[in-house]
Amino acid sequence: MIESEDELKRVGRFIAEYAARLLGAGVHTSRVVRNSKRIGRSQGVDVRMTTLQKTVVMTLCTPSGSIVRTEVIDIAALPIGFELNSDLSALSWEACDEHLSLEELRRRYERIISKPRIDPMFVLVVVGLANASFCKLFGGDWTAVGVVFTATLIGFYTRQRLQLRGVNHYIVFVVSAFVASICASSALMFDTTAEIAIATSVLYLIPGVPLINGVIDIVEGHVLIGCTRLIHSLLLVFCIAAGLSATLLLVKNSLL
Amino acid sequence: MEIFWHTIARYNAATWPVQIVLVAAAVALTVLLYRRPTSTVRKLTKLYLALLNAWIAVAYYSVYCAQRDYHYIPAFFWGAMAAVWVYDLCTGYTTFERTYRHDRFTAVLYLLPFLYPVFSLLRGLEFPGITTPVMPCCVAVYTVALLLAFSRRVNLFVILILCHWAILGLSKVYFFRMPEDSLLTCSIVPALYLFFKEYIDTHLDATTKPDARTMHRLLVLLCVVVGVFFAVAIVHEFAEGIL
Repeated sequence: MIESEDELKRVGRFIAEYAARLLGAGVHTSRVVRNSKRIGRSQGVDVRMTTLQKTVVMTLCTPSGSIVRTEVIDIAALPIGFELNSDLSALSWEACDEHLSLEELRRRYERIISKPRIDPMFVLVVVGLANASFCKLFGGDWTAVGVVFTATLIGFYTRQRLQLRGVNHYIVFVVSAFVASICASSALMFDTTAEIAIATSVLYLIPGVPLINGVIDIVEGHVLIGCTRLIHSLLLVFCIAAGLSATLLLVKNSLL
Repeated sequence: MEIFWHTIARYNAATWPVQIVLVAAAVALTVLLYRRPTSTVRKLTKLYLALLNAWIAVAYYSVYCAQRDYHYIPAFFWGAMAAVWVYDLCTGYTTFERTYRHDRFTAVLYLLPFLYPVFSLLRGLEFPGITTPVMPCCVAVYTVALLLAFSRRVNLFVILILCHWAILGLSKVYFFRMPEDSLLTCSIVPALYLFFKEYIDTHLDATTKPDARTMHRLLVLLCVVVGVFFAVAIVHEFAEGIL
């Protein structure tokens, strides 16, 4: 049980860091709240939290209410990782079931977050294959599928390079959508399903996870963060539309 | 298809002296890169590649291929390639340092641009209506050969664009009855394998997954699948031509 303010501070810091990591890596809010409360219970602490798009505000108190502490932590934008999310959720159950000490919890947490990340080149090829499959699913012929595959490779590589350089997220989306769609527009030179190739070449940019999380958050009562996530996602969709429109203006309206 | 070959004939008839100069410059710069790879030679090679790509964009596509539908798309494409080489010249990203690892394969690739006109002549075509070494696919093959021979640090963006062009080359085999372009398609798969293998050998460590062995197996699988896809498309095209 927590007996001093210092102990509560250490528990609070850990739970805040844990919650911020989950939110940054693409977990919907109610799951983060549930997991954080579960870890709090395992340490003998009540957790109440408010989540915003960029910040988590968390108040922790002992069951008797004698010691209370508030933690505020920024949410860093992290790459979405389903494996990380699943492992961190499992950690909250381990904390509960095995009555882990804070030191052991911290040790396991560090082990999870330092696991090897997926190689960017592997992601590049897999995203290319996924987008090419979308093209086939939407009725594209094999020429269009091949064109979409390589157009996606070029577009996604552009996105990776721009993100590495720290370019604004929205600009990255506009440029990547433009590059992928202009490459896919080369299918127009042949008697093939070029329209499908152009339309599906930008699908890899659709912010699916924030869109789904936004809807889940609103449905489960976290309306504020849900709306924020949806607005952010819609802005990204507008950016994709802007990039695609630039290509269509150039190639379909013959502005080139 | 008639317009396609007619534009090629117009281009060759009007620009063959310039093409000879461009080929001679390419040979001279390549020899210099092997014999005296100084900083100036490397910069001149990048400048030459920028000019060559700009030539394809302006002279080939914008002027002589203006009759083709959507000719401005490949013109934009090759213009962008020229811009990438200018950027590379300014930043010095591609180092053009020789690796000595793929010498035999690159020797074959260097020969391919000269095989294009031979292939056309063997098919019964006559000058000027033949493929020549200063045409988009030949330039793509030459660039791949150069990057593979000096692949210590290459611009992956250029490789991916050339890969995209190879896909278009395969489509040209099919849609424009241009079997010469199967040379580019056939050369790009092993080239891509070598580029990515080099990446796996040099970039992968314990902080990333899948591990190097799994990545290598996946790369082989991907190249085999793409190779079979290309082979089926080319064989299908040739079979249709014979029948």
